[in-house]
Amino acid sequence: MKERLVTERVVEAEAAEEAAARAASPWRVPVVVGSAVLLLLLVGWITTPRFVTVDNALIIVRSASIIGIVAVALTFVTISGNFFSLSLGETASFSAIAFSFMIAEGWGVPAALVLTLLLALTFGAVQGLVVAAGANPIITTLGAGAALFGLAAVLTENKTMRTGSHVADWLGRGRPFGIPNQTWAFVILTIVAALVLTKTPFGRRLALVGSNAAAATATGLRRGTIAIAAFAIASLGAGLAGMFTAAQVGQGTTDQFPELTINAIAAVLVGGTVISGGEGSMLRTAVGAVFIAGLDNLLVIRGYSFGVRVTVTGLAVLVGVSLFTVLRRRAV
Amino acid sequence: MIPRLRIGRVMASRLVLAVGVFAYFALSDDRFFTTNNVFTIFEGFAQLGLAALAIGLTIIAGELDLSIGSAAAVGGILAVTWAGLGLVPAVLLVTLVGAGFGAIQGYLIHRLKIASIVFTLGTLIGLRGLAFLISNEDTVVVPDLDIARVVKHQLWIFSPFSLVTIAVLIATAVFLWYSRWGREIFAIGGGRSEAVAAGVPLRRPLVLTFMLSGAMAGLTGALTSLKSGSAAPGGFADLLLPAATAALIGGVAITGGSGSVLGIAVGSLTLRFVISGLSLRAEPYYVLTFVTGMLLLIVIALELLVDRPEARQRFGMWRARLGRGGSRASPA
Repeated sequence: MKERLVTERVVEAEAAEEAAARAASPWRVPVVVGSAVLLLLLVGWITTPRFVTVDNALIIVRSASIIGIVAVALTFVTISGNFFSLSLGETASFSAIAFSFMIAEGWGVPAALVLTLLLALTFGAVQGLVVAAGANPIITTLGAGAALFGLAAVLTENKTMRTGSHVADWLGRGRPFGIPNQTWAFVILTIVAALVLTKTPFGRRLALVGSNAAAATATGLRRGTIAIAAFAIASLGAGLAGMFTAAQVGQGTTDQFPELTINAIAAVLVGGTVISGGEGSMLRTAVGAVFIAGLDNLLVIRGYSFGVRVTVTGLAVLVGVSLFTVLRRRAV
Repeated sequence: MIPRLRIGRVMASRLVLAVGVFAYFALSDDRFFTTNNVFTIFEGFAQLGLAALAIGLTIIAGELDLSIGSAAAVGGILAVTWAGLGLVPAVLLVTLVGAGFGAIQGYLIHRLKIASIVFTLGTLIGLRGLAFLISNEDTVVVPDLDIARVVKHQLWIFSPFSLVTIAVLIATAVFLWYSRWGREIFAIGGGRSEAVAAGVPLRRPLVLTFMLSGAMAGLTGALTSLKSGSAAPGGFADLLLPAATAALIGGVAITGGSGSVLGIAVGSLTLRFVISGLSLRAEPYYVLTFVTGMLLLIVIALELLVDRPEARQRFGMWRARLGRGGSRASPA
C-alpha cells in the first residue's frame, strides 16, 4: 500500500514537472528545429560551395514540395492524437492512377482534378471513421494501405496507367514566376494549414482533442468527427501529391511512391510535433520537410551513397524525436 | 499474478476459423491437402510465424515495433555475409545481434520515455539505410549453396527452418506462461499504470519485449535469406503487414495485455492457408496483398464489434431502438 502511494506521487510529480517545463519554455522546440536548419546551412556552406546557392535552394524546396504537401496534411492527424497514417503512399499512387485514367479517358483536367481529390478524401474519411470507432490508427491505415494498393493493382492489372495526352502538363510542369506549381502548392498549403490550425475553431478543437481526449469529450467536442476530418485532410494531401506527380510524369503506377509515407512521417517528427497529439505546428513540419530534403541534397552533392543518405535520415529522426521528448519533459 | 487467459471464447473461435479456412481450401482444391503443399504452407509459416511473434509480443506489451522489416533485412545480409562461419554459428550470431539491438532499443524507449512507434519508425529508416550500407547496395549471395539446401531440406511436411520456428514458438509460450518476467509483459500491456502501481518494474519487460522482437526479426531474416541463398538490402519491406495481420487474426488484442503464442501460431497458419489457397489458383502477388489488407481490416472491424464492451453496448442500444429486445441498453 505504501509502495503504491509512493509510485502515485512519483507519477504526479513527473506530470507536474512536465507541465511546468512545457509552460516555462514554449520556444525550446522551435529553437532546436531552427538551430538544426542553421547548422545544416553552416556545414553545407563551409564544406560545399554549391550547397548554399539560390539555384540549389530552389532544387531543395522543389524536392521537398511533394513530401511537404503530404507532411503538412498529415500533421492534422498527428495533432488530433491519432499518431500517423501508413496509407499515404498508396493513396497517392491510387490518386495518380485515377487521375491518369480520367485524363486518358478525356474527362478534362478540372473534372479529373476534382474527382481524384474527392476519391482521396473519401478514402481518408473512411479510415477516419474506423479510427473514430475505436480502432488503432497505425494498424487500420496499414491494412487500408495494403487494400488500396491491391485494389489499384487489380483495377489496372498492375500496369502503368498513362495520361496519353498533354492537357495536364501545365499542372505538373508549370512554373509561374520561375517556381514550380508543386512548390507554390506546398507554400500556400502550409500557410492555409497554419491558419486553419491556429485561427479557426476547427484547429483549436483538433488540438484540444489531441491534448486531452477525455476533457474534450466532456466539453462536448465530437472526437469522431475530428478524427474523420483529420484523416480526410491527410488523404487529400496524398491525393494532391499523386495528382501533381501523375501530371508531371504523365502516368500513374501502383508503386509510384515507395518512400512517401515514411518521409512524410519523418518530416512531421523532425518538425517536432508531439506524437501523442495536442501540440504541433504546420510551419515546423514544412521546415522538417525542407530539412530532410536539404540533408539529402547535401549528401548527394558530397557524393554519398543511398545507404548513407537513408541511414543519416534515420539518425536525424531518432536524434530529433529523442531530443524533443527529453526537452519537453525536463527544465534545463 | 496470472495473465488474463482468454483461451476460452477467443481461442476457440480462432481455432474454428483456422480449421474452417483449411477445410474450405482442402475441399475446393485437390492440390491443397497434399504433403508437398502442406510443406509449402509450413515454409511460409516458418517465416511468418517468427515475424508475427515479434510484432505480437510488442502489441501484447502495449507497444509496437515498426522496425521488424528493416531489422530482418539487416539480419538477412549479416547471415549471408557470415555464412562462411557455418550455418548454425551464423544464425545464432545474427539472432544475438538482433537481440542486442532490440535490447538497446527497448532500453532507450524506456529511458527516454518515448513512444515506441516513433522510436521504431526512426530505426525502421536507419536500419534500412544500414542494410544498404553493409551490403554495398547490392544483393549478397552465400558462398556455398549447400547451406540453402540444408535450411530448406524437406522432412515430410517440415524443414529445419519450420522446425526452428516451431521450437522458438514453444519456448516463447513456455517463457510467457511460466516465468514472472514473461507475465510482466502481459501486465504492462493490459493496464500500465495499474501494473506500475502494483510494483511491476517497467524497464525489464520493455527491454525484454524489444529484445525478443529484435531477435525474432533477425532470426526470420537470417533463415529466410539463407534458405534462398541471397539477401537484398531492400528486402522484407512488406513484412509488417502479414505479421500484424497474423497476430491479430490469432486473437492478440490491439489494446494490449492479451493474446497468446498459440493464437499467434494459429493466426499465422490461417493466413498461410489463405495465401496458399490463392497461390494455387495462380493469383498474382497484388491480389494476395489486397486480401491480406482486407483481412486485417475485417479483423479490426470484428474486434471493434465483438470484443469491446462499449461497442457491444451500442449494438444493444441499436437493437433496443429497433424494438428487437436488447436488455443491456443502459448506458454505463
